[in-house]
Amino acid sequence: MVLLALTGCASVSDRGDAAAAVALRMLTAVQNDDGAGACAALAPDTLAELEESAGQPCAEAILDEDLPQPGEVSESQVYGQWAQVRLTGDTVFLGVFPGGWRVVAAGCTPRGERPYDCELQGS
Amino acid sequence: MKRFLRENSLGLVFGLLFLIVLCGQAVAGHADFNQQQLTEGLPPVSLGRYVTSASFGTDVAENWQSEYLQFSLYIFLTVWLLQKGSPESKSLDEAGLESDKEQKVGRYAEENSPKWARVGGFRRALFSTSLGLVMGAIFLGSWLTQSIAGVAAFNEEQLGNLQDPVSWGEYLLRPDFWNRTLQNWQSELLAVASMAILPIFLRQRGSPQSKPVGTPHDATGVEG
Repeated sequence: MVLLALTGCASVSDRGDAAAAVALRMLTAVQNDDGAGACAALAPDTLAELEESAGQPCAEAILDEDLPQPGEVSESQVYGQWAQVRLTGDTVFLGVFPGGWRVVAAGCTPRGERPYDCELQGS
Repeated sequence: MKRFLRENSLGLVFGLLFLIVLCGQAVAGHADFNQQQLTEGLPPVSLGRYVTSASFGTDVAENWQSEYLQFSLYIFLTVWLLQKGSPESKSLDEAGLESDKEQKVGRYAEENSPKWARVGGFRRALFSTSLGLVMGAIFLGSWLTQSIAGVAAFNEEQLGNLQDPVSWGEYLLRPDFWNRTLQNWQSELLAVASMAILPIFLRQRGSPQSKPVGTPHDATGVEG
C-alpha cells in the first residue's frame, strides 16, 4: 500500500496538471464569452444546478455568474476522484468523469474549517 | 498431499478464509464507495480502481494494525504478566524470561533445536524475541500504511465536501485518524481480556486454547 502510494506520485502530478488545465479552460472560456465552451467543462450536476437556478441555458447562464478572471495556477492537489486547483483569486474543485476532469465548483472562497463558499457549484 | 493438508489445516483454513473475507470486503466496500460517488454526483468507479484506492487501503490497514498490535502486546506482556486460572498464562512461578535451561538455549539446546538457539550473542538474542519483533514490525508498518492511505482517503472526502485537504502531519492530529485507530484497539483489547479471563471458568473440549474440561478453575498454565 505504501509502495502504491509512493509510486503513484508521478501520476498524481500529471492528473493535477490535467485538472488545472480544465479549470483554466473553463475560466478562460467565460472570460472570452464562450458560454458553450465553459459549460463543456462543467460536471453534469453543476450544469443542471446552474440551469435550474438561472432558468436559462447553461451557455447563457454561466456568463452571468460572477466568476473571477483566470489567474495563475499556484497549486493543484489530487486525491482519488477529486482535485482542488488554486489560482490567483479563485479556487476550483473538480471531479473525475468518463470524459476526464470536470468542474464541480468554481469561484470558491474559503471559510475556515467550513466548506468553501462557491459562486458556481452542483446541488 | 492429504497428510500435508491435515497437518497444516489450521494455517491453510485461516489463510483461505482471510482471502475470501478480503474479497468480500472489497465487493462490499466497492458498493459503498460507489454509493458515496453517486451522492456526490460522480460516476461509479471500477472494482479494480476501488481496490487500489486510499479508501480501501486505509480500511484494510486499520484492521491489520490493530490485530498485530493485539498479538504483539499479548506476546510481550504474557512474558511477565500472569492470570491465575487461565490457560493463556504461564504458571504463577514462571513470570519473566525464564532460564536458559527452561528455554533450551545455549548449552541446553537440544539436537534438533534451531541453530540460532544453540549459538550465543546477537543471533540468539534476536531469535529469542523474533516473534514479538516481527509482529510488532508488522503492526507499525500497518499503522503507518493506515496513516498514509488514511490521509489520502480523508482528503478525498474533504475535497468532495469542498474543503481543504490536510498534510500527513495534520492528519495524525485529526479525530478521523484516532477514531479509526482507537475503535479498533478497544475491540482487540476486549477480545484479549476475554481470552485471558473466560477460560478460567469456561471450557472448550479438545481446544488448546482451553484447559481440559475437568481441570480445576484455579489451575494456571494448563492447556488442553
